Parts: sequence; structure tokens; C-alpha cells
Amino acid sequence: MGARLDLFSAASAEGAWTVGEVTKRARAVIEAGLPPLWVRGEIAGFKAWRSGHWYFSLRDKSAQMRCVMFAKQNFMLPAPTDGMQVFVFARPSMYEEKGEFQLTVMELLSTEQGGLWKLAFEKAKAALTKDGLLDPARKRRLPPFPRRIAVVTSPDGAALRDIQAVIARRWPIAELIVVPAQVQGAKAEASVCSALNRIARLSVDVVVVARGGGSVEDLWAFNSERVARAVAAMPMPVISAIGHETDVTLCDLVADLRAPTPSAAAEAATPDRVEVLAQCGIVGQRLARALRTASRHVIERLDRTGDRLVRCMDSRFETSRALLTAHSARLDALSPLRVLARGYAVARDADGQVLKRVAQLPSGKEFRLRVTDGEVHGRVQ
Amino acid sequence: MAEFSKQLERLEAIVRRLESEDLDLDEALKLFEEGVERLRAAREQLTQAELKVKKVLEIESPS
Repeated sequence: MGARLDLFSAASAEGAWTVGEVTKRARAVIEAGLPPLWVRGEIAGFKAWRSGHWYFSLRDKSAQMRCVMFAKQNFMLPAPTDGMQVFVFARPSMYEEKGEFQLTVMELLSTEQGGLWKLAFEKAKAALTKDGLLDPARKRRLPPFPRRIAVVTSPDGAALRDIQAVIARRWPIAELIVVPAQVQGAKAEASVCSALNRIARLSVDVVVVARGGGSVEDLWAFNSERVARAVAAMPMPVISAIGHETDVTLCDLVADLRAPTPSAAAEAATPDRVEVLAQCGIVGQRLARALRTASRHVIERLDRTGDRLVRCMDSRFETSRALLTAHSARLDALSPLRVLARGYAVARDADGQVLKRVAQLPSGKEFRLRVTDGEVHGRVQ
Repeated sequence: MAEFSKQLERLEAIVRRLESEDLDLDEALKLFEEGVERLRAAREQLTQAELKVKKVLEIESPS
């Protein structure tokens, strides 16, 4: 045992370095000799931890090294994917606990055109397209006379003031429901989604999602797939006005209408009451004209009925007259006067009784004889 | 207060019914009176309304 100790006598407690001393020294050497620098490579084994820190390797054909990008550096940056070619600005160092050489990344840029933002945007857009959420046929018509309008925006931004002013002027009949949300920063995505979810449960006719202009990072929440899906799932139409006119976010693409500014969104959401008043005037005129027309119809119908009544009476009268003529002709034919005219005569006594038999005419009986043109008196001989 | 769009829809229906031909005078007059009343209410809504603004937090509070 002692011999072995002798063999390693140079490695005495005084002469040997501890692991910690070596790694600490290595770290100092590396940090002194390699200042922060830009490194180019391909991302491999990317992993985002719950803490928000990112761990991955950068590699090229011949070598690779471990990288860490802490949450406060990758804050709001869309996550890269394995195989992506990137530039990183990093501080080479030593992770002493594991004795690993590592890059602490402070900035990460994609070499692809438009960078990480563009890539993440395109990826989310492709996923939304695949699910049909960008289909123009999904766009709903806005209600012509909204009763309740909800606004998702920052409670103290210019966007809310503009929207409120426009609606107060154009359509104060509506009720404006303001749902405050964080529109930038790490919590914006969750905050906007939760505001939308709240509104989805309310009885609201139309929703305006608005945010003033800002950098691509500022607008990032409105490019998140989660926010876009929340907008698409709303049971009522959504108008989106995010950033400046030149920034088109996923939220804009999914919404039923995209407005260039928050004020324009408020105008699109409401009719102008001056125009609606003019429309009311036209309805009033139509109403009056319709009543006149309706009464004219009633009068015409009365006239027509009167005419029919008269016509009906006329024809009845005509029938009676014809009947009368026929009857009088028949009467005429039967008249005893006609018989007398043919040469017959009627004998009657003083009482007017017709004397038809010989027995009624004894000798000396006085009678009156009616002939066609008069009467004569006679006595039986 | 009746919902504005319902008000306008009913007005439109009244005018169309009045414009059709088969109405007796009684019915026409009744429709006309209703139309005038609804028009008056709609105008009043348009000219007298003031925008009500609510924060959703107030809506959600239990009071």
C-alpha cells in the first residue's frame, strides 16, 4: 500500500489540482482568450426547458458544441428548429459543474430570408391554412346594427381611445365592452387568448381586436398560432386592426375583416347614425305612400262593387220588362175585345150578367149587347 | 328598448305588407299607425343614445 503511495508521491495533496480548480481555470482561460463572438452553424438537439432556457448544439461537418440561451435572452423569440442554419452571438465559456465547453448565446439569427420571425410566421400560417382557417369562405358578414361591441386591447392605449371616439360618434346605440389585455410582452399571447375566451361567453355581436404599431417583436403575440386559433374559434365576427397597415399578422388573416387602423376597425363595426336617420326618412315616405296606395285600392274596389251592383240591377230590370211585354201580348190575344173585333157580341142583362142561354132570354127581356165599338140596348121579340 | 335591427326589420315588413294590394282599410290603418310609432321610436334611439362603456371586469364582478 505504502509503495503505491510512493509511486504517486508527486500527486500529493499539495501538488494535485482539484476538478473544481481545473474547470475554474479552464473557464478563466477560455473567457480571457475567446471574447464574445459570432458563430455560424446548424442547430441540433434543440430543447426548450420549462424555465424558458433553451439548450441545443451548434455543429458543422467536423465539430459541435453545446449552447445555452437563457430565458431573458430568448424572451419573445420564436423557437428555432433542428437543422436550421443560424448565426449566434455568444460568449464561449466552461460549464463547470459538467466540465463542458459551452456557448452562452446572447443573440440568435436565422440565416434564412426574413429570419426566425418569418420562419415561425410561415410555419404557423401553413398550419392554419392546412386546417382551412384562412379560407376566404369562412369570413362572416358583420352585423348591420350591432347591439354590443367588444374590444380587446390595451386599457390605456391610443387604440382604445380612438375606437371609443368613433363608436360614440357613429353608433352610440351600441354598448361598448372593453376587455383589457396585455398586447405586448411575454404574457400577451395568454392575455389576448383569455380575453377572447371571456368574450366568446358573452352575448356580443362583433369583436374588435386592436393594437397600435410596433416592432415585429411587439406584434408577436398577434402572430402566434394560439391567438390566431382563438380568433378563428370566436362565435361572432372579429375585426382585426394590428400594427400599421403594412404589418399583416396571422390575427389579421384569420379575422373576418382586417382594418388598417383601430379607428377604421370601429368604423367597419358600426353604421353611421346620420345615414341610418336618412334611411328612416325614406322608410317614412314609403310608409305614407303605401297607405295612400292602400286607400286608393280600397276606393277602387268600392267603385268596382258599385258598378257591378248597378249593372246587376239593370239586367234584372231588362228581364222584367221583356217578361212584361210577353205577358201583355198573351193577355192581349186572350182579350174578349179581340173576340168582339172578330164579329162576336156579348149580351148582358141590366145587372151585367152574361146571357148565354135561350132560357135567359124570354120574350120582352131587355138586354145590352156589347159589340166591338160599343153597346146597344135591345128587347127580345 | 327594442333592439334596433328588429325595429327596422318590422318596419320593412309593415311597408311591404302595406304595399301589397289585398288589405282592407282597417288593417292598412292599423299597420300605418304601428309603422309611424316604430319609426318615431327608431329616430329617438338614433338621436338620443349615448355610448355606454363597460369594462369586462365590472361585468364579471359578483355584485
